[in-house]
Amino acid sequence: MAEAAEKPKVKVRFYRFHNRLKEKAAGAAGYKGTGEIPAELLAQAEAALAQMSEDYPDWVSKLIERMGDQHRRCVDTPEKRRSYYEELRRIAHDMRGQGGTFGYPLISEVSESLYLFTGPNSGMSNNHVEIIKAHIDAMRVIIKNRISGDGGDIGKQLLQSLDAAIKKYEGRT
Amino acid sequence: MAQYNLDRFSVLVVEDNLFIRSLIANSLKTLGVGRLFTCEDGSEAINFLKLVKENPMKAGTMAIDIIISDWQMSPVDGMMLLRWVRRHKDSTDRFIPFIMITAFSESERVAEARELGVTEFLSKPFSIEAVWKKLLSVIDRPRQFVHTSTYFGPDRRRQQVPYKGPDRRVLTDKSPEVEIING
Repeated sequence: MAEAAEKPKVKVRFYRFHNRLKEKAAGAAGYKGTGEIPAELLAQAEAALAQMSEDYPDWVSKLIERMGDQHRRCVDTPEKRRSYYEELRRIAHDMRGQGGTFGYPLISEVSESLYLFTGPNSGMSNNHVEIIKAHIDAMRVIIKNRISGDGGDIGKQLLQSLDAAIKKYEGRT
Repeated sequence: MAQYNLDRFSVLVVEDNLFIRSLIANSLKTLGVGRLFTCEDGSEAINFLKLVKENPMKAGTMAIDIIISDWQMSPVDGMMLLRWVRRHKDSTDRFIPFIMITAFSESERVAEARELGVTEFLSKPFSIEAVWKKLLSVIDRPRQFVHTSTYFGPDRRRQQVPYKGPDRRVLTDKSPEVEIING
């Protein structure tokens, strides 16, 4: 027992392994420095991303229409708004992470705002549902007119009119 | 500087969004990753990792080298997957590099993932450059794993920075309370 008391209990374990992944990537020759992925592969990957970006507006249009359906359900069946909000929020979450990747940061911005407006403590009034609609409409405009980047003046106007719609209805909620 | 060849790498991508999943998978393939596996959420990923352990032939790979997972998925999200990988007794490799894709910018959520032992974050929207930088970081700068009563995961200190306050790190490699496992 006395011996056990002298030996303090281990509080921290450090695991230090040899770098297996580096061996896989650079060969087992024991390469010490840092590495690179060949530039031509990066260029190809960038090109593949650009190709996918071309399909993005079509793909996102379907999501926007799904949101449009949820909005209509909010209008038709007010007692079930909570569950429709949840679906809207889920789609908005997906979209806010994508827009920027495919050159449509405005989509990310508007869906971020919609995501916040459909959270667990969001208002459930008819006016609040109008705010949701204003977001969906803004996204339709962005995609229909292929407003990429920050959209310049049109982008600014669009965000301003969305803000105006939010203020208008928010005052009434 | 060495040119890396990722042909022998097996990467698991866990992402519920079809478009993003296919984007990441395509990007990794183009960057030369040899074997790619995709799952739609954390529970599918857990089942797949179990299959790799129990029946690698059927799974199509002997091991997974890196997991890249989205955070928000249903029913099992990226955090629950990370927790399983790092802490569950059935976990196939508790030390596997885990890159979390996140759309959250809130710092407390990032801290939450750090406490569970995440290796890297990849924030949406991302570029190809961001993806390969994370891969390079995992390959070039692996960190020792730390196991204490409250934490298991990669060392959360990435760099030595001058610090003026009191040093609360009372234990060193030589302390009897410290055990070092080399492998």
